[in-house]
Amino acid sequence: MKRSWRGVIYLALVLFLSIIVTQQTVNAYFYERYQLVLVLCVINILIFPLALLIYRKERDND
Amino acid sequence: MERKPQERESKKESGSVPFPEDNYTHNIRKAGERKLDRRGFMKMMVGAAGIFAVSTLPWGGLAAKELAGIGKRRYEPAKIADLNQIGVGEAVEFAYPGKHDSALLVRLSDNDFRAYQNACTHLKCPVFWSKEQGELVCPCHHGFFDVKTGKPTGGPPQRPLPEIELKTEQGAVFATGVKRYET
Ligand code: FES
Repeated sequence: MKRSWRGVIYLALVLFLSIIVTQQTVNAYFYERYQLVLVLCVINILIFPLALLIYRKERDND
Repeated sequence: MERKPQERESKKESGSVPFPEDNYTHNIRKAGERKLDRRGFMKMMVGAAGIFAVSTLPWGGLAAKELAGIGKRRYEPAKIADLNQIGVGEAVEFAYPGKHDSALLVRLSDNDFRAYQNACTHLKCPVFWSKEQGELVCPCHHGFFDVKTGKPTGGPPQRPLPEIELKTEQGAVFATGVKRYET
C-alpha cells in the first residue's frame, strides 16, 4: 500500500493550532480578558479529540 | 534468508574492506529506535495536543475565578507620599495593591502625577525613572516606557506597564486602583 503523509500533515497543523491557542490563552489572561481565556481554553480542549479522530481515521486506513 | 553466525564471522574475516555485511541494523542503538515510524509519530503529536489541552485548564480555572470575583474586586486606597516629599521630576517607589506589587510614582509637574506597577512587562525587572532621559527605563535589556502612558517605546517590552489610578487629597497622593489593560 502506498504510504500517505496526509495524516501527519493534518496532525501537524492541528498541533500547531493547539500551540497557538495555548499561547494566546496565556496572553489573554495577562491582558485580563477572562472571557477570551475561557473560550480559548474550550477550543484547546476540543482540539484534542479532533487530533485523536484524525489519528484513528489514518490508522484505520492503513 | 537466514545465515548462520559463523558464516557472518567468516565474511568479516574475508579481508575485503568494507567487509560484506547484510546486517544493516548494526547502527541502531536505542531499543525501539525503528519503532518511531509514521504511526508512532502521529501518536506523539496527538499526545502533545492532549498535553496542550490539559495545560490550558489552569488558566481557564484562574480566569473563571477572576470572572466570578470581578464585582467584588476593589482596591483599598493607600497613601503613597506627602506632596512636599516629592519634588517635580522625582519618583518614589511604593507597593500597590499588594505589598509585593512594587510600583513607581513620578511627579511630572506640580499637579501631574503618574504611577505604574514597575515590574517590566518583558521579564519583570524593576523599571526606574530616569530624570535625564525623561523616560521609564528598564536596565535589564534596555527597555523604555513612555512616562505619560506607560507604553513601551523601545527595547524588548511589548506590553504597557499597568497604570495605577491616583488622587491627591490633603497634601498627599493616594493610590486608588489599577487600570486594566486596554487592547
Ligand atoms: S526585563 Fe525589562 S527589558 Fe527585559
